Amino acid sequence: MTLQVSALSGASIGEQTGLVSELMAHFGLGGPLVTVQSTKDVIPTIWVKRHQLRDVLRYVKSELPRPFPMLFDLSATDERLRRNHEGLPIGTFTVFYHLFSFDRNQSLRIKVALDDEALSLPSSIDLWPNADWYEREIFDMFGIQFEGHPFLRRILMPSWWEGYPLRKDHPSRATEVGLFQMPPERLVMTQDALQFKPEDWGLARTYHDRDSDFDYMFINLGPAHTGTHGVLRLVAQLAGEEIVNIVPDIGFHHRSQEKIAERQTWHSFIPYTDRIDYLQGVLNEMPYCLAVERLAGITVPPRAQVIRVMMSEFYRIASHLVWYGTFAGDVGALSPVFYMFNDRERILSIVEAVCGGRMHPNWLRIGGVARDLPVGWDQLVRQFIDWFPSRLDDYEGLVMDNPILKQRTVGIGVLSLEDAIAWGATGPMLRACGLPWDLRKVRPYSGYEQFDFEVPTASNGDCYDRAVVHMLELRQSLRIIRQCLDSMPSGPYTSLDPLATPPLKQHTLQDIETLINHFVGVSWGPVLPPGEAEVSTESSKGQTSYYLTSDGSQFSYRTRIRTPSFVHIQMVPLMARGELLSDLLAVLGSVDYVLSDVDR
Amino acid sequence: MIEWRNGRLEGVRVTEGGDGPLTAVVGQSVLFAKLQDLLAWGRKSSLWPLNFGLSCCFVEMATSFTSVYDVARFGAEVARGSPRQADVLVVSGTVFLKVAPVIKQLYEQMLEPRWVISMGSCSNSGGMFDAYSVVQGVDKFIPVDVYMPGCPPPPHAFMECLLLLQNMVGSERRPLSWHFGPQEVQRPIMPSMRDAKREERMSQREYPGIDVLPRTDLLSPHFAGQPDGRSKGKS
Repeated sequence: MTLQVSALSGASIGEQTGLVSELMAHFGLGGPLVTVQSTKDVIPTIWVKRHQLRDVLRYVKSELPRPFPMLFDLSATDERLRRNHEGLPIGTFTVFYHLFSFDRNQSLRIKVALDDEALSLPSSIDLWPNADWYEREIFDMFGIQFEGHPFLRRILMPSWWEGYPLRKDHPSRATEVGLFQMPPERLVMTQDALQFKPEDWGLARTYHDRDSDFDYMFINLGPAHTGTHGVLRLVAQLAGEEIVNIVPDIGFHHRSQEKIAERQTWHSFIPYTDRIDYLQGVLNEMPYCLAVERLAGITVPPRAQVIRVMMSEFYRIASHLVWYGTFAGDVGALSPVFYMFNDRERILSIVEAVCGGRMHPNWLRIGGVARDLPVGWDQLVRQFIDWFPSRLDDYEGLVMDNPILKQRTVGIGVLSLEDAIAWGATGPMLRACGLPWDLRKVRPYSGYEQFDFEVPTASNGDCYDRAVVHMLELRQSLRIIRQCLDSMPSGPYTSLDPLATPPLKQHTLQDIETLINHFVGVSWGPVLPPGEAEVSTESSKGQTSYYLTSDGSQFSYRTRIRTPSFVHIQMVPLMARGELLSDLLAVLGSVDYVLSDVDR
Repeated sequence: MIEWRNGRLEGVRVTEGGDGPLTAVVGQSVLFAKLQDLLAWGRKSSLWPLNFGLSCCFVEMATSFTSVYDVARFGAEVARGSPRQADVLVVSGTVFLKVAPVIKQLYEQMLEPRWVISMGSCSNSGGMFDAYSVVQGVDKFIPVDVYMPGCPPPPHAFMECLLLLQNMVGSERRPLSWHFGPQEVQRPIMPSMRDAKREERMSQREYPGIDVLPRTDLLSPHFAGQPDGRSKGKS
């Protein structure tokens, strides 16, 4: 599993050209391939003809040797205001498919250009079931149709919404569109829009067969429900106590982060990333900063890398603790959450001492971190990591060995490895099915290759195994923190690169040139060269990725945020079908998700 | 205003044993008050929040329910799942367009008397999310009693605002009869905390440096949750 790859490059240039030449050899000249785009992230990126998209997708999914079984991400870009075309066949919209191959440990990006007169594509639900929500999201945000999609309707925005938010002509700010008011008729209209009609989702209201004849019961959970950990809504179709189907309704937490990214400078979007998954602070900033640094070509000094790793692992522990406690709470054990929040409080004390913030540290900077570690940080960290293992032993007795918890979770919500891959599961969800796939190990970033740790897995893919993986990961994170503590490198905490933010102030009062550059860098923000870069990292819940497109300005042209929770919530119906209603909360609890990570 | 601490009325001298003067013994267990004061005191001391969370702020609100902060000290730990049993709606997080009718309905399902705490910048004014899908402040469609700044406010800020709300509820007077006295709710004028804290704020001209940490003990009794008194780990 150990691959010798440098910290900043996933696949090498050689691999990239290898895959592209394989595809060229199969399809030949004049085939579906239009051109090959070179990107900063060296992910092979090919543009294909619209009417032959299906051929290419089907080929790389199933016929290509060592195929691409996972649809990692699928979204679109509004290209109408793009200035730098770089010789690419850009239309008005571009839809991109981000595929992943475990055999190759490689990504493949397939792009297709669309024109105004034909804003539609064939659906690829039959190839990858998780294309369902991605395609609905594209329809919702860009108004692009997918032929053959059974339920192509809005997913994040309410059904009464007009316009497509991620189009460039849609207003970004609420203050652009006038004061919000809620007269009674609007309340009635918006509440009516939330009515659930089973027929809309292809669900029958009654069951007929030779022996029996009964009505299904439909139970609505949420968006205000204590078991859904936030504003998530699920409608369960029940035959007695048994779950026949579930329709999740999301979008109650849509904060339009991708749109906001297009108006914030590269630097000032960092605090917004904190709030993508509000439990894991620095772990959100990591992929964003790495992607910006790859666009700008900045190398992060070793001390900053290790500080980043250390704080990331602290946040991983904090996030896992919240998950651990609420999961136990969901199946009826109320006391664990009190223990775990105590420990989380200790972690937050360390985080506060280092970063100044609790949940939203706003700590990483482009090119490094915000400031150096304070004197005395090591004492705090050592105190915590010396003490925490005994607490983990306690938790094992309290939660994992608890016979009631075992009865509620073992064999419940089973997910097979094939399903997990087909539906795009990552992180603990995937590892609980038996695949030791951890980006920190297989595609190391930020110097993770220097750390000694293991990738815990389980084998059954049920609710209990997901808990096992989380629990073992706590110990591995602790191991990484100990190594950070023992061998924290010295040196600068931020890069000296002119594009790093905030620019260093040392020489500003000595010559006018540096003063001007500093002023521009601080007031306008750095201007990044045009290009595209995607970085995906192992966050607490799975793989989070930021796919940034720069058009050569101080803002991002398009920021695509791929979050694990969005994918995992889509899999809840798959895991819960056939279980009892009371198991639904065990399944939900075992899926480590945060609503802001689902809806962004 | 009734002051009652540790189960005893303020200012009452308590004599151990049963041989003290009758008034002192009675004073320990009998409380004389005007009915409306007593009701206000009861309302104030049992503000039950609705168990409803929106975003990041809810995690900090939930943290204040756990043992390090322990909001049970103020009688507000009884989070209710049903709005019909709740007194306080804490709007803890970003108010999204799609969820606004839900919040409105939850508020309307709560029985009078009911109060609203707006927790965090998003709920106060939209905060950093001036975005197409976010309502710029929950007060656009429901009345708010206490605004809590912060992104997110830490648990002790939540408790401070809870105490502010308690003060307000305790000095609020509601009609007891359809025939006598004022028929409307008499709300006190709440002081502006910005003004009340100005002096303290202005006195903080110099901050301690943040480059050197004060020595902190993470395992001190401040962090509760060690029932067996163990202070060092086994391994």
